[in-house]
Amino acid sequence: MSTSAISIQNLSKDFSVPFRRDAVRAVKNLSLEIPPGEVYGLLGPNGSGKSTTMKILLGLVSPTAGSTSVFGINSTLVGSRENVGFLPENPYFYKYLTGLETLLFFGKLCGLAGTPLKHKAHHLLETVGLADAHDRRLGGYSKGMLQRIGLAQALIGDPRLLVLDEPTAGVDPAGSHDIRDLILQFKAQGITVLLCSHLLNQVQEICDRIGIMHQGALVAEGRISDLINPPNQTQLVLENASPALLAALAKQTVEAGARVVGEHKPHADLERFFLKITGGKH
Amino acid sequence: MSAAPQHSVFSLRRVSALAHNTLLELVRLKVFYFLLLFALLVIGCSIFTVKFSFQNPLQVLKDVGLGSMSIFSWLLGLLCTANLLPKDQEDRTLYTILAKPVSRFEYLLGKLSGVFLLLTLSTLMMSAVFAGVLGLREQQEIAEITQTTAPEQLPKALEAVRAAAFQLNLIPGILLILLKALLCSTLTLLLSTVATSSVFTILTSVVIYLIGHVQSIAREAWLSGTGQISAVTKVLSAAVALVFPDLQLFNVVDEIAVGTALPLPLFLQIAGFGAFYILVYFLLAQVFFSSREL
Ligand SMILES: Nc1ncnc2c1ncn2[C@@H]1O[C@H](COP(=O)(O)OP(=O)(O)OP(=O)(O)O)[C@@H](O)[C@H]1O
Ligand SMILES: [Mg+2]
Repeated sequence: MSTSAISIQNLSKDFSVPFRRDAVRAVKNLSLEIPPGEVYGLLGPNGSGKSTTMKILLGLVSPTAGSTSVFGINSTLVGSRENVGFLPENPYFYKYLTGLETLLFFGKLCGLAGTPLKHKAHHLLETVGLADAHDRRLGGYSKGMLQRIGLAQALIGDPRLLVLDEPTAGVDPAGSHDIRDLILQFKAQGITVLLCSHLLNQVQEICDRIGIMHQGALVAEGRISDLINPPNQTQLVLENASPALLAALAKQTVEAGARVVGEHKPHADLERFFLKITGGKH
Repeated sequence: MSAAPQHSVFSLRRVSALAHNTLLELVRLKVFYFLLLFALLVIGCSIFTVKFSFQNPLQVLKDVGLGSMSIFSWLLGLLCTANLLPKDQEDRTLYTILAKPVSRFEYLLGKLSGVFLLLTLSTLMMSAVFAGVLGLREQQEIAEITQTTAPEQLPKALEAVRAAAFQLNLIPGILLILLKALLCSTLTLLLSTVATSSVFTILTSVVIYLIGHVQSIAREAWLSGTGQISAVTKVLSAAVALVFPDLQLFNVVDEIAVGTALPLPLFLQIAGFGAFYILVYFLLAQVFFSSREL
């Protein structure tokens, strides 16, 4: 068996709070294995410990108990970050740098230099849709633009693992779809992705497996289809069906010993509608 | 899939990227404008000494120039360093940087190197302004003396003017001023790794600076007092001397200003003292920073 991209074992994290004797327990006995190449979605309400888990994984916060490793290297070692790209939640970079300078700076931290780095930076700016803004200072970027430069920054070192904390927060629906497509592209390239997001639709579209955290503990885990679909139900969507046809179908269903659970019009998706009106893709 | 790239524990490229970025940040924050004040001060002083015809205008100019260079570089280092870590932490840029294969040691070293670069550059600029103004005044003095002095006394008078002007023996003095500023910024960096607010960092750093200047005098007065000196007193004063650097040592610059040449062994001794404290403060900062919860 190959080593897991991410391995989390019995992880707990307490934050001590000033003026209070008991600590806040942000993560409770969390264990998780993510094999290479998988897109994994970490879900949970606000304050359930998702970001804390990611920070521990990247060695930014030290665990109270348990351990985490990335491609078999313990997160406390700097070397474990050699293959990882991280997009923090609400990313905020140096205001005085331009988009291009930001990527060059982070590229150098990943050990890149010279012409290859420059090409890479320009290519990534193109990828995240910031080519026109590459020479503007980040102080003048909008929230969604910062999110995009954050994604580009996470990709600069050719990571084998991407950790994305709410990658689509503040991004417009078209951009959000672009990011979704990018993630699917990474997946096709064999890059492992750990992401957390509150956009359940999107998570459903792109994630192979999800884990749901609640008050620091992992309360559900597995493939989405296994978790939510009643295993013995099938949905049928018809166009131009006459009432007579529907009645006949219902009759046949009962005769075959099955049951019609519900009948309703397929609901149009607001996201799709928004994209149609604003001329976005899809 | 490619194999994991080998991680090097220390990379000069990463440190220099961080140092360059820190310098760029400070430059784009327009801290160099601060130095315009220095230029104005020195030029103003030059005009002032002409107006009020001092005994030895060049000497006054030299004292003021070196004195303000010392204050300006110290203040510049202090103010630039105090906010370096808190700002990165507040803006969460620290997360993005440390999520790259960058160790906390490399980060801290890069940041400090950036400040060191800034201080070195500004010392160079201040020296250039200083030497320029001093040179101009020297020319004026020479022109004046040539007209007013009798020919047989002229060589001696010219000699006196040249001795008071900018001379190469000022360079060790300027180097010591720079070293003192570097020492004080490293101290400020150390304080900022334990402090929770930059106001605290700045105030503590200023207090230590002041103690550093009076401690040797106080200690001497204390220890040379009449009567028995207890062992406790001795240990205590030694401890104070160890924790707070004796900044009075750097005041040999005052001697240099009046033309006394600084013997090389003494220069090396003071430089070694400064470098030692910088190293110790930096390593302590690393110890605190590496165990700090971000
Ligand atoms: N540095 C810290 N000091 C004290 N408590 C903290 C700290 N960081 C996080 N916490 C606490 O840990 C808990 C989990 O926070 P975390 O940021 O991981 O939540 P999250 O799942 O990412 O939430 P969100 O969806 O809002 O981003 C919260 O109760 C939070 O208050
Ligand atoms: Mg979060």
